[in-house]
Amino acid sequence: MLVDLELVEKARGGDAAAFNQVVLAYRRRVLGTVSRLIGRPEDVEDVAQEVFVRLYHSFDQLRSAEVFEPWLYRLTMNASYDYLRRIKRRGELRMADLSDQQVLAADSQAGSKVDQEASQKTKLRDFVDALFRTVSEQDRILLTLKEVEGLSLKELEHVYSVGENVLKVRLFRARQRVLKAYEVAAKAGKL
Amino acid sequence: MTDEQRARSTGEDELQDLFLRYAAACPEVEPGSNFMPQLWEKIEQRGSLWFFFARLGRPLAAGAAALCLLLALLNLGSRHASNVLSYPDALVAAHSAEKTYFAEGIRSSLPGEDRAAEDAH
Repeated sequence: MLVDLELVEKARGGDAAAFNQVVLAYRRRVLGTVSRLIGRPEDVEDVAQEVFVRLYHSFDQLRSAEVFEPWLYRLTMNASYDYLRRIKRRGELRMADLSDQQVLAADSQAGSKVDQEASQKTKLRDFVDALFRTVSEQDRILLTLKEVEGLSLKELEHVYSVGENVLKVRLFRARQRVLKAYEVAAKAGKL
Repeated sequence: MTDEQRARSTGEDELQDLFLRYAAACPEVEPGSNFMPQLWEKIEQRGSLWFFFARLGRPLAAGAAALCLLLALLNLGSRHASNVLSYPDALVAAHSAEKTYFAEGIRSSLPGEDRAAEDAH
């Protein structure tokens, strides 16, 4: 935990200063998670703020301070889902078209002699984002929480409110679908 | 282990490695300088909106409950009034023209049965 349980308890009790401290401690993590889940840098801050607004208004529903982190992940996941649904309804694209964007980004970076390592990181991120776009939002979010955010099965149980076996099955299926896309990309020489 | 299984296992390992590298490659997102002021603004806005609906909702709920109670009382009253009909009124209601018509209709549709009953008599 990034903060003491006592502080979480205080925030849960309606202490605004304690809530402020909780936000300050967790905002970077929430911003990072949201950015990986929604893939739109321009809206990351907005969605992260939505997470904390929901946290503020539903803090009293938290059963105990021990499960605060999975609960915050749950709020983050729900806010991200809502955002993705909203932009889908509006008919906007979730992310920019991969291949063109990827090629342009790679070209421009190579052209401007940006640090080689940064360029490789960008390529890698674009590639994984593209892989994730081949599967459903549910699969993407589940895999991001498990493989990228590093949540344990126990924590995911709290986030999703389902049993371990159900989660294992979902994870297996999601992984298989991404693996399929990965193999296709590997065959096409996109790695 | 078949070639296909081996290839799949290698693919899974590669995927795992890819996720690890991806996690390391994701940059830290720094909050903007207005993050906290904007957040508190949104919290207050949402709070006042919630307060508005809560304030609006309470009298509406009370009004709906009162209306339900009133309708229930009226319903009870009218049922009670229909129960205190005089005997002739009740008799007229029971043997109204409509009921007689339907009863006759049923009788006339079964002539064979009537004849059989008369014969037996």
